[in-house]
Amino acid sequence: MEPIITIRHLGKQYDQKTVLNDINLDIFPGQIIGYIGPNGAGKSTTVKILTGIIQDFYGEVKVAGKDLRENVLEIKSIIGYIPELAEMYDLLTPREYLSFIGKLYHLPDNIVEERSRRMLESLGLLENIDQRMDSFSKGMKQKVLITSGLMHNPTIVILDEPLSGLDANAVIMIKELMQVLKQEGKTIFYCSHMMDVVEKVSDRIVLIDKGSIIANGTIDELRQTAGDTLENIFSRLTSSTDQVEKADAFASAIHDITNNK
Amino acid sequence: MGADIGQLRAMLYAKLTIDDRRPITMGRQRKQKKDRKWAIIFNMFISFFMGFLYVMPLLIVKENIISIWFYYTTFLVLLTFLLITDFSNILYDTKDKFILFHRPINDRTLFLARLLHIFIYIIRTVVPMSLPGWIVISIFMGWKAALFFPIPLLCMLFMAMFFVNGIYLLILRLASPHRFKEIINSFQIFFAILIFGASYFMPRVLQSTVFQHIDLHAIGWARYTPSYWLAAMWVWVVPGKALAGSQMLSALAIVFPLFCLWATVKWIAPHFIRSLVAIDGVEVAPPQKSTKEAKKGIYKFFTELVNKTGGAKAGFIITWLQTSRSRTFKMRVYPSFAYVPMYFVYLLTLNKHSLKTIFSNLSETSYHLGLMYLCSFVMLQALNFLTISDQYKAAWVYYAAPLEKPGNVMIGAFKAIYIKYFLPFFASVSIVVVSVWGLSAILDVFLALTNVTLFAACIMRVGFRRLPFSVMDQMSAGSSRTVRVLVSLIVPFALGGGHFLAMHVWWLKLIFLTLSAILLWLVADSYANTDWANMKKEEL
Repeated sequence: MEPIITIRHLGKQYDQKTVLNDINLDIFPGQIIGYIGPNGAGKSTTVKILTGIIQDFYGEVKVAGKDLRENVLEIKSIIGYIPELAEMYDLLTPREYLSFIGKLYHLPDNIVEERSRRMLESLGLLENIDQRMDSFSKGMKQKVLITSGLMHNPTIVILDEPLSGLDANAVIMIKELMQVLKQEGKTIFYCSHMMDVVEKVSDRIVLIDKGSIIANGTIDELRQTAGDTLENIFSRLTSSTDQVEKADAFASAIHDITNNK
Repeated sequence: MGADIGQLRAMLYAKLTIDDRRPITMGRQRKQKKDRKWAIIFNMFISFFMGFLYVMPLLIVKENIISIWFYYTTFLVLLTFLLITDFSNILYDTKDKFILFHRPINDRTLFLARLLHIFIYIIRTVVPMSLPGWIVISIFMGWKAALFFPIPLLCMLFMAMFFVNGIYLLILRLASPHRFKEIINSFQIFFAILIFGASYFMPRVLQSTVFQHIDLHAIGWARYTPSYWLAAMWVWVVPGKALAGSQMLSALAIVFPLFCLWATVKWIAPHFIRSLVAIDGVEVAPPQKSTKEAKKGIYKFFTELVNKTGGAKAGFIITWLQTSRSRTFKMRVYPSFAYVPMYFVYLLTLNKHSLKTIFSNLSETSYHLGLMYLCSFVMLQALNFLTISDQYKAAWVYYAAPLEKPGNVMIGAFKAIYIKYFLPFFASVSIVVVSVWGLSAILDVFLALTNVTLFAACIMRVGFRRLPFSVMDQMSAGSSRTVRVLVSLIVPFALGGGHFLAMHVWWLKLIFLTLSAILLWLVADSYANTDWANMKKEEL
């Protein structure tokens, strides 16, 4: 099977700082890839390159067999991007915002209307469809963002902390949704810090740190010992010091300050 | 007064440090250090020159106390305007709610910290603005007046601050948080129009003989105005005719601001944090029932009618909806609808004839051209603020979507502004023009409409190649863009001049109309075909 996303020698620099360094990755159709790493590792930059937001990079990226640089519009139309708690024009209602997004993807009005209603209904937001989003909670806005990212039925779904702000029921629903989308043959690129969720839903896990991929495999391949969790793997591979020691040092600092008072 | 001094000092210090790194310049933010320094100095200069406007009563009116009364009245109105427009955002800023609201800080401390913050900023505007008055009063009334000047100024400052903020908090107690924001926004628009009108018409009023010979006793009601109490303070220092009881009234100038402070801190500030949370809070309003045929909205009709591409339709929708809901946009653009007729009347009265004479001879003049071309100001204001938004980061959607030409979105946005704001306004003006100048002015109407549209399209093409609501601060626009916009202002002069020359030659007007329409089509087409490469150049 041919990969749906092929990344070769991907690099990105901002001024003198290297943010991505020789990233090589193959992602196959119908896979859920957990893309994890510490803050500042290069996850968001990778995502922005894949979604065409950043167009200035080194290396080669192919999506569905097409070069990203030469076919950026075509590739954008098959990618659905759901960022974490991104800004929205929240003076609009969900209906209006989704209509606006639908136009950007050249979707007919009747399709947009139908899909918006049904998707928002599944997320429990149908009765708020004509309410301005500036009165929405974080979770409500995130649901609208999820809807806006999937409304055009993308082949590849890129999720950046999609569960942020969602209540427990919505989290369960989105996790189930990822499985359903996978069964439909969609490819999911999932960035998150929620290790337990990543561990459960991902077919493969790619761990990035300081701009380079330091681990790439299934959870079983990454485990050193039985019962090893992704959290432990993450910590072992990305941190030089024991987190427990750090926590002790932090707590003792408070006590020292209190005693000195 | 129940405030914690240590906490007050800490909050004020933090706020001033933040502002020093990102100062508020007439409600906006600046990015670069050099720009910041110059912005502050530049604004102080502007304030200084504005101060000359308020000096006029001191120069024109002969009676000391009356002239000072007018001086303080105009100054107080301006201060109220400044507090309402520029500083309501500081007082009701809830961005630091997660930093402060859960800490053991009482309402009075928070309220006073905000108030002092505003006070420090307003000093930067008021002091340079008062300098011309200070100089004039010192020259006319001597060294005692020069030394005394800061005292009533300070009282005026406190009066304005506590009065306005007290009113704010009172409105907040009585109205819902959403209504509060709408009321403040309406005040802002009203005051912007008031200040504009005053700056043009006040000199005329002051120079009128009625005003110059105004009798103090004819304005006995003045004793009830706070500005008179401030003026009455001067009876202690300089001689002058004053209303009976002015010495007692002067005490009010000190007592009233102290009373306002005490009243707001005692009765209203205790609910300050709660009020802030309410303004910012999630109003879980009952979900609106959407009818089976969801609200069509006239914008949907126009979206399909005037736009071909998906990008254009998207730009049209977002602009149509966002502009009528954005308080910032409304505050900046809506007053321009009043500016145009006011400025037109001002220009008409420049020749000092009476209004009756002017209007009776109007149809024999070509002033309708000026009125119609002045309408371009509305268009310019709307286009100027179309790209600015506090939610500029939401423009990420344009970059993630398969948008081949951002120009499509931009032309859609331009059409929305044109249809929603400019055309109805111009139509109203046209009705006035045709009713005064007759049916023969119809060709002038069409020519002016085409020319003004061409001018607006040129401005967009040359200066505003940005996606709608995608920019944080328009003031940081590069100098090259400013130059381009200034140069393109030659266009309306050229167009209006050509129109004027063709006033009595109808076939020439038809030729100009045709040429203008062709040029408009070319410019609009070029704008609509703006690609990402040109956008990048614009950003650089």
